[in-house]
Amino acid sequence: MFTSLRVFATAHALADHAARSQGLIARNVANADTPGFRAQRLEPFSAGTGAGAPAMRATRPAHLSAGGAPEFRSVDAGTEAAPNGNTVSVEEEMLAAAGAQRAHQEALLVYRHALGLLRGALGRS
Amino acid sequence: MGDLLSGLQQASNGMRAQSQRLRYVSENIANADTPGYHRKTVSFREIDGGVGLGPVRLDPTAAERIYDPSNPLADQTGHYDGSNVNLIVEIADAREASRGYEANLKIFDQIRQMHSDLLSLLKR
Repeated sequence: MFTSLRVFATAHALADHAARSQGLIARNVANADTPGFRAQRLEPFSAGTGAGAPAMRATRPAHLSAGGAPEFRSVDAGTEAAPNGNTVSVEEEMLAAAGAQRAHQEALLVYRHALGLLRGALGRS
Repeated sequence: MGDLLSGLQQASNGMRAQSQRLRYVSENIANADTPGYHRKTVSFREIDGGVGLGPVRLDPTAAERIYDPSNPLADQTGHYDGSNVNLIVEIADAREASRGYEANLKIFDQIRQMHSDLLSLLKR
């Protein structure tokens, strides 16, 4: 049945990504009027997991790859600058915030359901 | 940088900054007819832990010359200095400040909701 509990790790990673994303969005919105401020966005979640994930380099095939938690960097959002140099678009931030909240809820839902499955398997429901 | 609780701090600092800005705007509007009044301007800057307001400055633009010989402040030509407040600019600024406040409030509420969802995971 469960040979590895990857589902928990993935759900945790998505929730963590959504939380960090929301933190960056909060900073962007707070600085919507700061001259020269450039909006930052967290790398998309798919960039760190699945097929696109950078695997750890091993110098010999026999070396184990730890497969640690994916690291996401904050990148410039690349939006147009206003005359005072500010690149925050409040509408874009609201959209991104809604996306982050939705992803957070999805992750917690998956986590809760997987936990329920595990409990059921253990005979404790 | 980017974390749930630091996001709460960012949002609340943002709300505080916008409401302080709105305070200066309302001072300007209230003094639009005060002779010799120069409008206050303030700009935002990022400080550790969030956004804040820089030093308050007075707009050096020349005040409006109002013609009213009966006014005790009038000079030989019958003019006196009004204020340099432009109501349209101030009202647009007030709109922007309140929009910024609402955006920060929305984000604050969303982060609070996410935090509460996390905690409810611990519940049965």
